[in-house]
Amino acid sequence: MHPTLGHVCAAVAVACVMLLGGCTRDRLEWPKREPGSRRGGVLRLAAADDVPTLDPALGYDTRSWFFEQHLFETLVAYDDRAALVPALADRWEVSPDGRRYRFTLRPEPVFSDGTPLTASDAVGSIERVLEPRTRSQGAEYFRGIVGAPAFVDGSAAHVAGLRASEPGVVEIELAEPDPLFLHKLALLFAAVVPAERARQLGDDFTTQPIGSGPFVLREWRRGERIVLARNPRYHDPERPYLDGIVQQLGVNPELSWLMFESGELDVTGIPPADFPSVMRDPARAALTVHATALETMFVGLNCEMPPLDDRRVRQALNYAVNKADVITLLNGRGVEAHGIVPPNMPGYHVDLVGYPYDPTKARALLEEAGLRAGFATEIWTQGTDTDLKIAQKLQQDLTKIGVQLAIKSVAWASFLDAIRQPKTVPVFDLGWSADFPDPSNFLDVLFHTGGANNHPFYSNPAVDRLLEQARTVLDETARFRIDAEAERQIVDDAPIIFLYHPITYVMHDARVHDYAIHPFLPARVTDVWLTPEQSARSSG
Amino acid sequence: MRGTGSLLRLGLAMGALLVLVAAVGPTLAPYDPAAPVAPQLAEPMPPAAPFYLGTDDLGRDVLSRLLHGARISLLVGVVAMVVTMVIGTAIGLAAGYFGGGVDVVLMRVTDVMLAFPGLLLAVALVAVLRPSVWTIFVVIGLVSWTGVARVIRSEVLSLRERDFVLAARALGARHARILRRHVLVNVVPTIVVIAALSTSGTILLDAGLSFLGIGVPPPTPTWGRMIQEATAYYRVAPWLMLFPGAAVLYAVLTFNFIAYGLAGDGRAPGA
Repeated sequence: MHPTLGHVCAAVAVACVMLLGGCTRDRLEWPKREPGSRRGGVLRLAAADDVPTLDPALGYDTRSWFFEQHLFETLVAYDDRAALVPALADRWEVSPDGRRYRFTLRPEPVFSDGTPLTASDAVGSIERVLEPRTRSQGAEYFRGIVGAPAFVDGSAAHVAGLRASEPGVVEIELAEPDPLFLHKLALLFAAVVPAERARQLGDDFTTQPIGSGPFVLREWRRGERIVLARNPRYHDPERPYLDGIVQQLGVNPELSWLMFESGELDVTGIPPADFPSVMRDPARAALTVHATALETMFVGLNCEMPPLDDRRVRQALNYAVNKADVITLLNGRGVEAHGIVPPNMPGYHVDLVGYPYDPTKARALLEEAGLRAGFATEIWTQGTDTDLKIAQKLQQDLTKIGVQLAIKSVAWASFLDAIRQPKTVPVFDLGWSADFPDPSNFLDVLFHTGGANNHPFYSNPAVDRLLEQARTVLDETARFRIDAEAERQIVDDAPIIFLYHPITYVMHDARVHDYAIHPFLPARVTDVWLTPEQSARSSG
Repeated sequence: MRGTGSLLRLGLAMGALLVLVAAVGPTLAPYDPAAPVAPQLAEPMPPAAPFYLGTDDLGRDVLSRLLHGARISLLVGVVAMVVTMVIGTAIGLAAGYFGGGVDVVLMRVTDVMLAFPGLLLAVALVAVLRPSVWTIFVVIGLVSWTGVARVIRSEVLSLRERDFVLAARALGARHARILRRHVLVNVVPTIVVIAALSTSGTILLDAGLSFLGIGVPPPTPTWGRMIQEATAYYRVAPWLMLFPGAAVLYAVLTFNFIAYGLAGDGRAPGA
């Protein structure tokens, strides 16, 4: 299906929902607010797509993660930035060789249904992810645990390196030291669920999720709305302040903005057309929050397809693109990329210069490569509004150095399929966002020879050696130094055009307080509270 | 009839202007339609000199894009119309003249084609084929011929029973000769009227495909794509949508006027 078509369908679906809405949607009852308290009220949100799943073993997208992180807890989690902090585990110790972890759970944790949460649930949750019949994409993150391979192939009933040694203690033993293991435990794949119940429920766990997070699932009408309510058994007696969250589904960004403007929503994204006027009005600009995402947008250059197999040609394309203009096109919602690792990532390489806009240098490099007259190539893109805008901008810039860039819009599924085939797609438009805050999550994943996400088919043995070396170095400073060296080489080889790191902007209603967005996780609303006076307005 | 005569004259005058713009428009265009010429990006500029119809978010001149788009729209409209007419006339003639089994088979095929919503079928075909101007010609032709075939067939059904056809047959004329000299000649007036009408249909379909993002690929400016790109801005920059929208309306009206004027009684055949 074509993305643009998708929009049309979504709009039609929304229209239908709105027509039917009046008669089929019964109202939700919420408790009355106590005067003078931060507590109470319902946060009204909207989104275009339904939630793929609420089962933390299966969710691998921001839509699912937004809800999962409100329903479940992990042993360790991130603070507002990228630092690891205690969550279900009060404290943890790591052995000097980096292979043994010991987590102590906080006292007497309970699930939302009242049953106690134990260390065996934590062990069982990871085993559930590893079990082949769960078909979890997160399984790969936990294969490094001692005994995991035997458990996966069925020759062991339990994972030997995963033990609930005391009721409140989880011990994990790794086959090899892994500097990223704590990050992997902070992924929602490692969320602690009542393991036995989850196994019994099987596929139904996604509609009857039980966790220990700040909220519980109250209602999920597919394609219509999803409602969370406060978990009365949440460990923090104060939080969450909200009674609940209602998210209307099937609301495209344009409609979301219109609903926000008419007071039907509390939080919305800002469409490109309206962004400049919002930011010019100080009162409205004050209601926006933003964060630079741990994400890099780039244009892949297939290093196996002539003339892009010539490094000078790839460098020329990098110099030819005016990144500042690209960001202007996005209303300034981006930071120029000098390399691949985003600026707020630990281990960001500050000294990297990258490729400043320099068409003269670009032409000189092309001439050096024997392509004085330029050449013609084709960019594959998904064809969303932003993608097409940027593709046309690239087209304009490259024309100036004699490179004719044709645009081919392809639906997401066929796009992913095509860029995986060798020597098929010369140029493509893609982004990568971090699963966890470590440079290797960009460098190793995207540029190691033969990697599943190495779509430019880039290969440099020197870079491979550095990346492999970094995999086992436990000392962060030493590891970041190796990563920086690898990144410098990659930038020099220019397997991609380094474009920008997006800045996410969100606007909220004046009654919403402490709404924050996270650099690489979906927003968390546990700390959000609403001004009481206006909460009398209808909510859902 | 006086009323329809003036309708025809109006249509032809509008058509002459359209053809003129399509022929010389690109040379009149003040700017390169694909290049950023406005002093600002991201925020479209309202109509004011030197950008008489404003600029879009990529800093391109709307007037220049509109003038270049005229040629594409007219070209697609006319070529796709010719494809439509050739297929439709051939099938209509064969079905109407030979009747019997040929008629049954051809008309059932037509029914099957009619059962598909045209735009949906076109979307599917473009998705399979590689998007280009030529693909659009063929695809629009392939989904639009059914109505033509039906009208031509009904005309031929009555023509083939007429005395001059029977006489030609009695004199031993071959089918090919009868079809060419006696039948086709007599459906030409109908063909001309439907052709004019179907041109407006194909222009609209092309705009629809471009609007869905699967028409002639960028940076070639097409009116439909201009409207599509304007949808995100319709509240803050309505001119982006207004001008190409008016252009499509103008082109469609032109060919409708010509068709209705030609039909003489103010009603297009088959309408």
